[in-house]
Amino acid sequence: MSGLISDNAFWTIWLLIHLLLAVGLLGALTHQAMAVALPARQTAGGIVARFRSVSAPTYATAVCVLWVLTFLVGSYIYPSYRINIRIPLEQGHYFKTGGFFDFKEHIAAIGLVLLPAYWFFWKNAQNPEYDNARKGVTLVLAAMCWFLFIVGHVLNNTRGFGS
Amino acid sequence: MSTTATTNPATARATARRSPLAASGKFKAFASTFSITGPIAYCLSVYLNWPVFTYFPATGRFVWGYGAMQASTGPNMLWYGWLLTTFFTAGVLGLIAVMLPERVTNKIPLFLVWLVPILSIPYVIYSLMFWWRLAMRG
Repeated sequence: MSGLISDNAFWTIWLLIHLLLAVGLLGALTHQAMAVALPARQTAGGIVARFRSVSAPTYATAVCVLWVLTFLVGSYIYPSYRINIRIPLEQGHYFKTGGFFDFKEHIAAIGLVLLPAYWFFWKNAQNPEYDNARKGVTLVLAAMCWFLFIVGHVLNNTRGFGS
Repeated sequence: MSTTATTNPATARATARRSPLAASGKFKAFASTFSITGPIAYCLSVYLNWPVFTYFPATGRFVWGYGAMQASTGPNMLWYGWLLTTFFTAGVLGLIAVMLPERVTNKIPLFLVWLVPILSIPYVIYSLMFWWRLAMRG
């Protein structure tokens, strides 16, 4: 890309792609988590009730694809973060921020390995044998996704590419 | 509380279109074993520091196994190597589960799929102790 755009612009574009994928994932997982935690008994008029009354099983494959894509883009950006962001963070004594980023990378990896079981449970949503496991893993993944999103957002506020 | 309870007709249609993979007992054994052992394998690979490879982003160099950070190489990245160790370990255990009879794999407690990742979080926080110590020193 050299010559067309600067290095900072290049990595910022990838970071934005990472963000947009994460927004999609967060929306899908939050809908699903609400649907399993507080299932709507009937399609009602209020925004909260409508938020809860989505067809949760149809989100499963999209969630898996979005988690993997967000993960892959994040993995692609990671070496640039290691050089251009983390070293200045350490030099600026932003140790909590650096620690929380490492926490984020661990949580993203643990979330990734949950996807095969998550997908299987949702593709068998008509089987009550998997109800509790499906509910548990969906809520865990949703909580992880919110944590990843917030840490990523705060980290970018602390020091983004080009700052 | 059953999560199947919904009035949305799209749900019934979506669940009716099951792929052969989703209907397979062998895939159930693989997926549940992979997802239960994955977080444990990940924490172990971090604890034992067993990355399949180390990447040095400043020089673009790869080293098999653990590669220490040196002045000539710049910072090292172990995370990709830990991930590969995790996939390999959990994948092998998943394949072993596929070879077991279904009466054995049906006994795998499925609540472990969500409980194990929750239980792994205290270790993850502990593994980052050097960051928290540095933060406390200011």
